[in-house]
Order: sequence, then C-alpha cells, then structure tokens
Amino acid sequence: MSLATLTKDWAATSYGFLDASAKRELRRKMLKAIAVPGCQMPYASREVPMARGWGTGGLQVTLTLVNPTSVVKVIDQGADDGVNAASIRRFISRVSGASETWDTLGASIVQSRHRIPEEMMREDQILVLQVPNPEPLRGVEPNISIARQMHADADYGKLWLTLYEQIVRKGRIMQGASYPSMVNGRHVMTPSPIPRWDVPKLNMARHLTFLSAGREKRLHAVPPYTRVEPLVFSDRPYLVEDHADLTCRRSGVQGFFMNELPQDGGGSVFEVSDSNLGIKALNKTEGAPTEIGETWYRNGEYSA
Amino acid sequence: MLTVAPPDAVELRANATFEALMWSLSRPGDVRTLPEAGFGAIVETLVDLECAAYADTPEMRARIVASGAMLAEKVSAADHVFLSELDSADIAELNCGSALYPDDGATLVLACAHQGQRLRLTGPGINGSKDVTLAVSPGFWAMRDMLCIYPEGFDIFFVDGTSVIGIPRSTKVEVL
Repeated sequence: MSLATLTKDWAATSYGFLDASAKRELRRKMLKAIAVPGCQMPYASREVPMARGWGTGGLQVTLTLVNPTSVVKVIDQGADDGVNAASIRRFISRVSGASETWDTLGASIVQSRHRIPEEMMREDQILVLQVPNPEPLRGVEPNISIARQMHADADYGKLWLTLYEQIVRKGRIMQGASYPSMVNGRHVMTPSPIPRWDVPKLNMARHLTFLSAGREKRLHAVPPYTRVEPLVFSDRPYLVEDHADLTCRRSGVQGFFMNELPQDGGGSVFEVSDSNLGIKALNKTEGAPTEIGETWYRNGEYSA
Repeated sequence: MLTVAPPDAVELRANATFEALMWSLSRPGDVRTLPEAGFGAIVETLVDLECAAYADTPEMRARIVASGAMLAEKVSAADHVFLSELDSADIAELNCGSALYPDDGATLVLACAHQGQRLRLTGPGINGSKDVTLAVSPGFWAMRDMLCIYPEGFDIFFVDGTSVIGIPRSTKVEVL
C-alpha cells in the first residue's frame, strides 16, 4: 500500500455535490432502511447549500441516487413551479447533469414535499419524500431515547390514545397530515406531512419510497409491495379528505386533492393540487397530444 | 447544464452498483446486474473508514484494508461480511443488531450460484410470493430463522458473477 493508493487527485467539486464518503454512508443507511421498512435509520446529514428544513434530507437521498441518465421531478405541495421545488430541481440538474421534468410519467426520481402525485407511479420509479419530523411519537414522547425504546417494544399505545382523544373531543379524527401508519405490521412511521388522501398510495405500491429528514438526521423507507396501514379503530373507518366532489376551477378535473382558495366575501374556489395533472387536463381540452397516466383515485374513489 | 466535473469511472460504477443492490433488496428474489463481477465494486460502493469489515480470502482482506475500513478479525465484530463460501460457524457469529438499533445488523455478501435449492420468498417487496433457486443448504435458512428475530437480523446479497439477489431480514424464506 502506498499513499497514492489511499488518496485521490484533487478536484474542485464532487459529482452530485456530495463527496464519495457522504454517499457511501447514505447508501449503507438506505439499504438498512429498505431491510427494515418504516424503521428510522440515523445518518450524518451533510451540509448542502440550502437551509435545514427546506428539503435537505430529500435532497441528499436524491443526490446519492442521481446519475446523468436520471430524470428528476421535484414538487412542493403538488406544484412543480414553486420556488423551493424549482430551485431544488435546478440545483440537482446542475450538479449531476440529470434531466428535469414536470411529468410524473417521465421521471425516474420524484422528490416531493407534502404530496404524492395523483398519477400512479411505476415499478422503476423512486419517490423521495422530504420529512420535517420523522418521529411519529414526538407528540406523545419528547424524549428521543424513550421513543426509541417504544419503537423497539412496538409500544404504540399512546398514539392510539391520541387518536381516541380526538374522537372523544371533536367527534372525529383531527389528524390531517402526517397520519401515523403501521409499516409491515411492525413499525409505525410518519408518512411525512402528506394529506390523508395520499397515505393509501403507499400501501402495496409499485414504487420504492424513501423518506428523509435532513434536520433530524434520520431516514426511513417503504419498499414496493409493503403494507402501510393508517392507525384506525375498527368501528371508525379511515377517511380521506372530502374532495371527491370538488372541481378544479381552471382545469375542470374532478375527484382529486384540491387546494382551497378562500374568496373575498366568503366562499371558496378550488384548484387541483397536483399542478401538472391540471396542466395535462388543460392541454387535453385544447387538443394538444397529452398522456395522462392511470391515477390512484378514479371518480374520487381510491381504486388501485 | 452540468456545472461540476462529469462523473468519473469510479463514481459511475458505484452509482450503478448501488442501484443494483438497492433494487435487489427492494424486490427480494429479483436478479439484478452489477456493473462488475465479484465483490470489488460492492466494497467500493459501501465500505470506507467508518466500517469494520470481514472477509475470508486474502484478496478481499487486502481490498478492505485499501478502502480504509477496519479489518475485523472476527465475523461478530464486522458490519460488512464478505464470504467466498458459506460456513455455518461464521453465520452463527453475524451481528444482528438490537431491537433498539436494528441498523447495527450486518450486511452479508456471499458468493453463491443462483441455482440449486428452490425457495419461496414472501414479505415486503414481493407481490404475493416469488420462487428463486440458490445454492444454499436448507440448514442455513433454519439458522437464519433462529438468528433473525425481526427487526433484528442481517441482510444478504447473493452474488453470482455479475448477478445479485438480495434477501433482507424482512423476507420470509420457505425451503421447497
């Protein structure tokens, strides 16, 4: 062994921004995350040129996966053109040479904040969700060492109690986003703050999902064809948001998750949250050649 | 527009190797193709000075030392274990992590022909069930059942030339 074999030539930048040792650490943790679905794996979470809490966890996973043939879609609350989404997408493409897209069907990696696209994802696609708080037990147990012990014991009674208290106090479950979900019958995870509407899309999905929290330095994964069951009482069925009958005022699509826009003088109008689906629907009505993929929800009903 | 240097051969190989490993573990039983035959590219992709690795051949030991990783004297001290042949004494020693830290469970990379004993796999990553053939004795799977108390356990990559099959601890293996 010589010094030359242990060192590399100096380079001003690393491909994909992260250095080789950061990528190796992430790869090791991503494999363990796949092996134990829903279990939070700690990782070092390197610095990236973006403030923690703005998607650094998702970004690090994407930068580890990406290569020059990748096609990357980044969405923020369903929209491809938000500042955060556009900046992350441009950054990824600049440091990796990957192509950018808004189309769910054309993407190989979809990095997302708070939504899962409405079009069904395929077997070869990877969904990377940005997670602000990866610990579903934080609300009931602020001490992370005790929370870790509770995960080890599969002791999720306090989460059930939280849901029960919501029903007793309000008459229904108030948990809107980050709905705690049991993965592979063993670990409860937070599916990141996606709406209840999106949680069924993770159950027995065809695609691979990584959920990564850069600020909290943990990541977990949901492999394809893995059971993801929202915690629910047998006499209180799991309800998704009541958006089945809402119509998008711009594209006219119906039966998808909507953004509510309150109007002056009361009342609201709605726009489809998955902005690219809206654009595709508009293109279709104008006669442009557009392919809208199979969707998870059909006529407002989950049917995958 | 690429503003950094394009990927070199090492980066491309590591990226492709990880992709093969990731998908093989995500879909247990699926055969994926490594860009390079053998264990070399896997060491390059996963192992560095933060790891302790064990190998049963002098060549692989040299490779591990060159990666900067600590060379483990015993299988029990290693987080990555590279075996050219299956030895039940080694398997019994594998680190399975703990209920508190399942991520401490070892990654076992095993040279193994993708033919022989027929197995039926079920669990996460598999739609229904999947049959594979691997040149591993039924005794190995009995031992794995004994050692891997989910979520504790070890994850295995069976490497046959450039082909790899992944079996994570979450997979149930039935010997047919």
